[in-house]
Amino acid sequence: MLQLLIAGLTVGSEYGLIALRIHIILRSTRIVSFAQGEFAIVGGLIAYSAVASLHVSVWLGLIAATLAGAVLGLVFEALVLRPAGRGGETGATIATIGAVFVLLYGHALVPAWGSEGHVLPPFSGASAANLTVANTVIPTQSLWVFGLLLLALAVLYAFFEHTYYGKAIRAAADNPLGARLSGIDVRSARAVSVALAIALAAYGGTIIGPITLVGGAGGFALTIKGFVAAIVGGLESPAGCVAGGLVVGVLEVFLTSRLGYDVADPIVYSVLLVMLLLRPQGLFGRRDAVRD
Amino acid sequence: MLAVFAVLVVAFGIVARGDAGLVQAGTYVAIFAPAAIGLSVLLGNVNQISVGQAGFFGIGAYAVGYLTVDAGWPFWLAAPVGIAVATVVGVALGFIALRFRGHYLAMATLAFGLITVGVFHAAPFLGRASGITNIPYPQLGALTVSGYPAYWCAWIVAFAAVLVTSALLRSRLGRAFEAIRNDELAAEATGVATRRCKIIAFAYSGALAAAGGAMFAAFLGLVNPDAVGIALSVDFLLMVVLGGSGLVAGALFGAALIGFANVVGHQYDNWREVVYGAVVIAFVVFAPRGVLGLVRGLIARKRTPGPRAARAGEVPADAAAFAEVRAPNDEPLAVRGVTKRFGGLVALDGVSFALQPGTLTSLIGPNGAGKTTLFNAICGIARPSAGRVAIGGVDVTGARPHRIAALGVGRTFQAARLFDEMTVLENVVAGAPRRAGRAATGHARALLARLELADLAAVLAKDLAFGDRRRVELARAVAADPWLLLADEPAAGLNDAERRRLFADLSALRDAGTTIVLIEHDMRLVMAISQRVIVLNFGRVIADGDPQTVRNDPAVIAAYLGTAS
Repeated sequence: MLQLLIAGLTVGSEYGLIALRIHIILRSTRIVSFAQGEFAIVGGLIAYSAVASLHVSVWLGLIAATLAGAVLGLVFEALVLRPAGRGGETGATIATIGAVFVLLYGHALVPAWGSEGHVLPPFSGASAANLTVANTVIPTQSLWVFGLLLLALAVLYAFFEHTYYGKAIRAAADNPLGARLSGIDVRSARAVSVALAIALAAYGGTIIGPITLVGGAGGFALTIKGFVAAIVGGLESPAGCVAGGLVVGVLEVFLTSRLGYDVADPIVYSVLLVMLLLRPQGLFGRRDAVRD
Repeated sequence: MLAVFAVLVVAFGIVARGDAGLVQAGTYVAIFAPAAIGLSVLLGNVNQISVGQAGFFGIGAYAVGYLTVDAGWPFWLAAPVGIAVATVVGVALGFIALRFRGHYLAMATLAFGLITVGVFHAAPFLGRASGITNIPYPQLGALTVSGYPAYWCAWIVAFAAVLVTSALLRSRLGRAFEAIRNDELAAEATGVATRRCKIIAFAYSGALAAAGGAMFAAFLGLVNPDAVGIALSVDFLLMVVLGGSGLVAGALFGAALIGFANVVGHQYDNWREVVYGAVVIAFVVFAPRGVLGLVRGLIARKRTPGPRAARAGEVPADAAAFAEVRAPNDEPLAVRGVTKRFGGLVALDGVSFALQPGTLTSLIGPNGAGKTTLFNAICGIARPSAGRVAIGGVDVTGARPHRIAALGVGRTFQAARLFDEMTVLENVVAGAPRRAGRAATGHARALLARLELADLAAVLAKDLAFGDRRRVELARAVAADPWLLLADEPAAGLNDAERRRLFADLSALRDAGTTIVLIEHDMRLVMAISQRVIVLNFGRVIADGDPQTVRNDPAVIAAYLGTAS
């Protein structure tokens, strides 16, 4: 039981991070981006290459992937979101689907990556033993995932709540015209938000890497789980997105263990529809802004 | 454009004969075309995104698979059942979709697509992951419809979908769709049943997709969850966007583009998809109206603005007067104790009055007094928190705006809300959603002539000058010959000449029997034109009577000048 809970929270952490990214991009650009899981996979692969080819530690790989993610985010914003966003929400969302194709099949073209999964070494070294508490094995890697998730959340919280630039980004997202009139450069605020979101994607793809392998074609499925998490928790609430991810992760692991994958998946998606109908603001969101 | 495509299909059919691979590629396109056309109606004409179109395609395919293999039905019976089921599911999804807009609607339809695939995956009688195989080819007399005959059969179905959809879009329903796409609230206020229209669009789109799915199962002989998954929903969406959303021929071109892209270039695996993704992005950025939009833009640039503009100049003979109208009883509008609260704010506080037929009443009051809110409460856009509204003796409290409009109520908005992508003539035609075809156009032309707008008939609403926008909106509001007209600051921003013309028009409408309520700030004009003036302040009626009395009322003077009363 506890074992399943820990497994659920581990995958849930990844879903929560994806949901958080969806939230950040949506809030700053008003665009729902389908290119979420793919960026996580590319980030994981960058960390893998750093470790496998440059023989650096997985920690340096994580930093390299995060920085590369930020750069990719700037490119993504400049080449896809900003130009496509001019034609309206729907068109921009479709452009992000185009980006999914480019990333998904593009990464497979890199000789060192291909289309198969790769192993990322664990953060605490190969020899670290798992913790056993009250007959429950807690994989050390799960602890790293929780810890690194909390670290990322703390950094984001501090940035958005306690720095001038973070506040400027929020202002630019919530009221672009007002922000512009107050002297905030809304365009670069958007670019920084997207860079942050994609850096977070690469970060998330790397910290989960030692458990799930990195690479492969599972990005779109991750994106969809991220959507479910965001709706369950509340698309407009960052804390709700993370919490929604944990809820969906635990739900999924429990259902899969009881009913099997074939039945669990449709139930998880039904949760998405039921939540939309009964509580579209999510478990942790406010009622307004749902119908816009 | 459609004829060009039909010729291409026939030519391809003749050329490809004997090459099984090409024939199959062509058949694929025809199988996917109906679903793309349906989605094009939904996305391009009603402005409702769906990321779950493959769900309906799957319903059609699985219905044929299950009923022909497990129940032994013939294809010709199984396919209509699948289409019927998809239509019912489409109605249900339409109801759900009414609650959402924008990205929430995208999520809800995505969930629908995922759930249908999940059900196909989980249901034991549908073969789980391996799906249904050995589905028999349809029999048409002695002919087995597969291979080359299937190409022609599929294209006959696809073109049937094209023709039905084109007819649908030309009908009154199509005009209503167009109005919704341009401005949902204005459409509702002119009498379009927007909710019903959206549900119909979802059901129709689902039915078309199911028809394609039925052909898929029958002509390929198998169906499985992967074939009808989210990837296919995404493909349908891309077909519509690449082809040109809202254009039937666009959906056909899109289906052809993606259908062939799926078949050719396998030797360039991965590169092919990368290019495909980049093309999608490029289209959204550089050609948001799709291939067909691109082609049309090129053609339109070469052509001089000819026939349409010339025809607009003809003035019908009966342009002289507004139609005589009569209110159904001697109390066209009665407002009793109407209160509207927004959270803690009381915008209207027990407003009561009743109007005489064929009179012009001005509603005045300082900014924020509740005038527009009162209009919204009368015409159904805002539901009163308390009190009743009766129009022509019918209690309409809480009724949908389109029902109230259909009783004979016209409305203009404070900031003119025209259907911007439609011409002036189309705007006015849309103002009378119950009038059909030629009669509607004739009537609209006469009205434009009466309002001296005939020369603008072919101009797109978004290109109109400010003053003309106001007059076109008035024309649209009276297109259905309403006996009650609510005009919200129609004179705001007009110059003196335009104002005089507007008030002459309003007087003429009143003389033709229309009961008019006018929100206006220009006191001189209000005093000159009104039989009665009602003054609102902080949501309450503070004065009500003939212009002379109201002008000298101390409470009114206090409200406007701010002295203590």
